[in-house]
Amino acid sequence: MMLQYFEGLTQGLEAKLTAGGSKYVARKRYALEVARLGVKLFHPDTRVAWCGIAVPFDLLNAMDVTSCYVEFVGAMLASTGGVEPMLEVAEQRGYSTDACSYHRSVLGAAIQGLMPEPDFLVGTSAPCAGGLAVIENLAKHFHKPLHVIHIPPHRGPEAVRYLAEQYRATADFVAEHSRRPLDLDAVRAALERTNQLRELMVEINRLAAHTPTPARRKDMINLGIVMALFYGTEGGLEVARAYRDELTGILESRPADSPRESVRLMWLQNRIQFKHPLLDFLYDDLGAAVVADELNDIPWQPLDPDDPFVGMAERALSIPLVGKVEWRIERLRVIAREYQVDGAINPTQWGCRQGSGARGLISDALRSEGVPVLNLEVDCIDPRSFAEGQLKTRLEAFVEMLSN
Amino acid sequence: MYYLGLDIGSLSCDAVLLDEEANTVAWTVVPTGARNLESIARARAIVLSDAGVDSKEIAAVVATGYGRARVEDKLAAVTEITCHARGITHQLPGTELLVDIGGQDSKAILLDGAGKVAEFTMNDKCAAGTGRFLEAMARALEVDLETLSNLDVEATGDLTLSSMCTVFAESEVVSLIAEGTPRAEIARGLNRAIAARTQSLVKRVERNPKGRRIAMSGGVARNPGVVRALAEAIGSEITLPDHPDTIGALGAALIARDRMNRQPG
Repeated sequence: MMLQYFEGLTQGLEAKLTAGGSKYVARKRYALEVARLGVKLFHPDTRVAWCGIAVPFDLLNAMDVTSCYVEFVGAMLASTGGVEPMLEVAEQRGYSTDACSYHRSVLGAAIQGLMPEPDFLVGTSAPCAGGLAVIENLAKHFHKPLHVIHIPPHRGPEAVRYLAEQYRATADFVAEHSRRPLDLDAVRAALERTNQLRELMVEINRLAAHTPTPARRKDMINLGIVMALFYGTEGGLEVARAYRDELTGILESRPADSPRESVRLMWLQNRIQFKHPLLDFLYDDLGAAVVADELNDIPWQPLDPDDPFVGMAERALSIPLVGKVEWRIERLRVIAREYQVDGAINPTQWGCRQGSGARGLISDALRSEGVPVLNLEVDCIDPRSFAEGQLKTRLEAFVEMLSN
Repeated sequence: MYYLGLDIGSLSCDAVLLDEEANTVAWTVVPTGARNLESIARARAIVLSDAGVDSKEIAAVVATGYGRARVEDKLAAVTEITCHARGITHQLPGTELLVDIGGQDSKAILLDGAGKVAEFTMNDKCAAGTGRFLEAMARALEVDLETLSNLDVEATGDLTLSSMCTVFAESEVVSLIAEGTPRAEIARGLNRAIAARTQSLVKRVERNPKGRRIAMSGGVARNPGVVRALAEAIGSEITLPDHPDTIGALGAALIARDRMNRQPG
């Protein structure tokens, strides 16, 4: 059933893109790549791995393993409106409603038989312990082998060597369980594509930072975090080129004196994944715009294709959600300056200890930069606890405060 | 001409009518009930009648509160946060920090000295410690809200409630009554629990509130027991405006006046 759904979605999007007629194609191209990933995940001939976020997806793509971090499934279920039964099933099995709903929904989907059976699983100790726990649960549920990567919470040459060795072991694990030997030439070629993708993403972010931003209100949502799944692939490059060309075209075709948004906002960490009216409310009723997304940031440097595991380790350790909050704050300061934001919205996910624990430090740091922060307590996956009126009042008051 | 501010809250619908010089010529507080359009009309009719003003003499209406969008002939809808800040600065100039506890919201608002909001925070997830919470506790104690508000005066102990969930707190109150705990002690425990919760909101916007000029608005400000407990918890005096539950409506009326006076011609 799920395979048919994704095949239908793929065909529909391909037809729309072939027909042309719209100058806004980047998001459709992105959706097509996501749909193609869905087809591969559910196809019986594909080798599938369920993973943690800090897994190097270019390595798995180079080894012809279709892989996906589990939180992506939670986001997909929420965005398609089908998450509530999954959450209920997980809760009926005893999972606390205080646990992160990204993880609860995935467990519910697995119990319901809606997750494709993996060949193996690769968990990571960062960015959150809950993510690793759900991978362990899935390994037990599917009776499949699990490999765990310990991401050190510190940086420097020792940490890089330690993690690079683990990635080497991950490649051995994947080769053993996919029954395909590691092909270093394929990995090298994948990393070259990853570097091209990185350049494009940096360019996309540079374009999106213009005032006013050329990015349409929903087009940049989840872009950076989802593109990680397409590292090392030609499909990922095509999506990024579509974004770069579209943003460039918008900038070139608009009047040079286009007015700045009255209030420019940065969104921290997770977007709300189910359908909700807050974004349209921000733009249409309050005249504000979300111009920057923390999760679209590309803080890592190009990887050395001849030293792939070290490059992947350096990339993972430079992700601000791994390690000290101080590193995350440094990046947030940079983004706030580059995008010239007036304020930030921090919707800390219910059950996310990482996000909740960092809240005060982030507020203080951004405030000292002249960037007030609106902290919201939101469940980004579970629409059952969505308090629309309460959230609208907080957003409206925040925009009033910034406008004054 | 006159300026009307309407604050449509979850428990009460408040109206304030100002003249050209920003003097309050009439104000009222009516229960919101299940039909807020009727409450809005009633509040409006009362202030017009009390002031002897014809509705045609109203230059502008600004609405606030959770029902602000329901007011049809408004010049603007403005949030409670902005309106309370504007209202308190008018009535108690120099206020640096405002605590507003209404029917279902608690807010801590840091002011910039000119009546503008510098920062704010609100209760999340639940309405513990708000007007609705106190209503439920008054029911459990079998007293009315006014009696509850001064019930703690005789208390000498340091009882506090372990749960702030309205349902669990009500159960706890019932258990304490069954154990023979004096109602005065229970009331003090409730006030201390609300104060502890509100204090953490306050400290999110101002880490060292001691010595700041703090005011309180909203219906719960009419509960001296809560105000005393909060002042004790914060370690600072809390000043109350006249008619604290109308500060939002006052701010709305002032904003109506500000905006009309700013308009050209």
